[in-house]
Amino acid sequence: MAPEKNQKRCKGVQVFRPFVFGSNAKLFDPTTNPKPANTPEDHTHSWEVFVKGVDDTDITYWCKKVQFKLHESIPNPVRTIENVAPGAPFRVFETGWGEFEIAIKLYYVQESGEKPQTFYHHLRLHPFGTTDEEKEAMRQSPCIKSWVYEEQLFNEPYDGFFDLLTSPLDRSKAGGGKGGKGKGTKVMRGGMVGSTGERTALLPLASRPGQPFSRETEKAEIKKLQEAKGKVDEMVKEVQRELRDAEEEIKRLREEAKAA
Amino acid sequence: MTSHDVRDMLDLPQEGAPRPAKKQKLAGPRPVLKGLAREVQNLGGDNPIAIVPEVSVFKKRRFMSRKPASKWELVPFKNTARSDQTLILRHWRRKEASPPPTVIDENEGESSEAAEKPTPVMDDSTFAKFNVQINIPDYTDDEYNSRLASPGWSRDETDYLMKVISDFDVRWPLIWDRYEYEPPQPRPVEGDAAVNTGAIIVPPKARTMEDLKLRYYSIAATIMALRKPPIKMNSAEFNLHEVMQNFDAKQEHDRKKFAEAAFKRTREEAREEESLLLELKRILARSDKLNEDRRELYARLEAPPSTGNIGIFSTSGGLQQLLQQLMTADKSKKQRKLTLGGETMSPAVGASGQTQQNFDRRESSVRESISGPSGGNNKKGNTQNAADRRQLTEEEERIYGVSRHERLGTSGPTFRHDKITKPLVSKSAVQQAKIGNILGELEIAGRLIMPTAEVGEAYEGLLQSINVLLDARKVADKLAGEIATAKAHRAEKKRLARAESTNPTANGDGEIKREGSAVASVRAGSVQRKRSASVMSAISDKSTKRQKK
Repeated sequence: MAPEKNQKRCKGVQVFRPFVFGSNAKLFDPTTNPKPANTPEDHTHSWEVFVKGVDDTDITYWCKKVQFKLHESIPNPVRTIENVAPGAPFRVFETGWGEFEIAIKLYYVQESGEKPQTFYHHLRLHPFGTTDEEKEAMRQSPCIKSWVYEEQLFNEPYDGFFDLLTSPLDRSKAGGGKGGKGKGTKVMRGGMVGSTGERTALLPLASRPGQPFSRETEKAEIKKLQEAKGKVDEMVKEVQRELRDAEEEIKRLREEAKAA
Repeated sequence: MTSHDVRDMLDLPQEGAPRPAKKQKLAGPRPVLKGLAREVQNLGGDNPIAIVPEVSVFKKRRFMSRKPASKWELVPFKNTARSDQTLILRHWRRKEASPPPTVIDENEGESSEAAEKPTPVMDDSTFAKFNVQINIPDYTDDEYNSRLASPGWSRDETDYLMKVISDFDVRWPLIWDRYEYEPPQPRPVEGDAAVNTGAIIVPPKARTMEDLKLRYYSIAATIMALRKPPIKMNSAEFNLHEVMQNFDAKQEHDRKKFAEAAFKRTREEAREEESLLLELKRILARSDKLNEDRRELYARLEAPPSTGNIGIFSTSGGLQQLLQQLMTADKSKKQRKLTLGGETMSPAVGASGQTQQNFDRRESSVRESISGPSGGNNKKGNTQNAADRRQLTEEEERIYGVSRHERLGTSGPTFRHDKITKPLVSKSAVQQAKIGNILGELEIAGRLIMPTAEVGEAYEGLLQSINVLLDARKVADKLAGEIATAKAHRAEKKRLARAESTNPTANGDGEIKREGSAVASVRAGSVQRKRSASVMSAISDKSTKRQKK
């Protein structure tokens, strides 16, 4: 894992890569989602937990493997997924009946020389949300999706890894390499600018069903935050006004006290 | 690209092709030669003799195009752009229908006439279309009197101006040059003729170009607005209207003066100006930097008081609270581990563990076959272009998500969401809860949907505002408390004073009264508190919760 001795970190440089992690859960249903044989009686859902690129872009060039630490009551709770095809998600399929926290550990490629990092995902089997409408909408939908957008930051990456992150995929190599089936030719469903082959950090411009993370979503969130900030600023002004009133009042009271 | 590549592309055999190609080249001109030239060429056999063959290409082409010469004729035409339509000129034009060929010396005619585009017979001149008539606004007497009258401009002069403008197609230098208005000689009117002449015969005003323009534009804009209300105009019309209406004669005048001055300045002056501008730019740039530095300094100076007030921890009670905080923070850290091993939500497989394992094994084998061996292949990376690594363009930096920072805490991989929420997480538990409350009020979810860099900035701004709000509320709370105590004091004093003045004798009665008013004052105080509490609901909520703990 340790990088070569001559490797240096790029000072002051930060590179980020967006990715998505989360879970999809489906209730067992005799018609649409039949219970596979050998499934324990009490299991009510089939679910998967995954880590993948936004809009199914390739992340395998920086993420070597992913370790999912499931609940201890599940056989082989530590599942390590590696060697997935570029653009395919790292994922684990399971069945169960309970929600729990999954620890997800990302292992980076050899070139990065970085230690693995852990984050957590709460497996969702049941509808969730802050309002009843949200919950109801989720109940209606075929599967419970709990997807989270995240950005992997590489602070001051090593030289070699920086090169890897900032150069496009060498097509001749990819095409001529062993087994390069469909790697360069994979057609993206969303027509995103950078497809599998291009190692970019760009986000799709607009979201579409099944791919909720995009510039559009980002803009909406920024707008929301700014509006919230505006509200808070209003509140600050109000409190300050009240403060001024209160100060005047206290001054008045003190003077009265003195006079008395 | 070599012939090798071409052959490769066309699926031709690898060797053997180039020779024939060369031979063909040599063989090409041979059959063309005739007579003596051919004989001479043949003398050389396979080795061609370097004699330039007499190839008469140019002459041949002449014989090749043996078309009948086209016929040209003199055609009369008129010019609608002229005011007098009687003038009819003629020009040479090619005849449309091809008559039997007659040999005319068309060679001279072609060169001169070809440039001119053919026009229909007895029709307009090709150049008539360039005589564009400009729309000069027209106005009636009523309109003039109601809207257009202006001090300093008589109706007569305005008419004259309009005429000159239409004469010279709104070419301002010309108009200004030819503008020679002479006020009409007043007809000798009986009676107040003397007064009239005295009023009217003023030396014709010297109008500047800006005066003329201002007058014309104001008239044009007014008329335009009259004919078509600005709301109904299309964008081009509206823009024109705006431009005309906002014509500023003074600014225009100044601009011209400035331009003239700039034109007339000497080389030294120009140089000096340039150097001054440079100096200014330098100063501005430096002031930007200076301001930036100053702001940073101020930010640093102001930061500590807002983040933590040690004052509250100076008492023993405060210390107790601090300890509590640290404990809760520690506890919350452990919480996560607890949920992982939580006993309430274990999707236990129990007895069926063995089968589950089988199921799982099958899963993983399927997965392996899907993934294939290609995974590790592309991540070997291309390190060959290490030389141009530092010279990423801005566009590339954007594409590859590269950013440069002055300070980057630690090196190594981190997650954006952690980084964004760091300022929040690093706060005390109490503070966190307060901020969380406000975020909840604002309906901002606990986890950002898209933790990108820009969202992070917006979030940071929001958190800062919230901090300011919390600080303000804290002070407000304190003040409210002070007011309440001050009021209580006052009430106390009043009560004492009243008790002494009204009831110096009946002691028991006074006692009762005193108690009653004390209750009243306490109630007043509590009401005051309540009012302030309702204002700062979040805080008081918090404080009551803390008390519960």
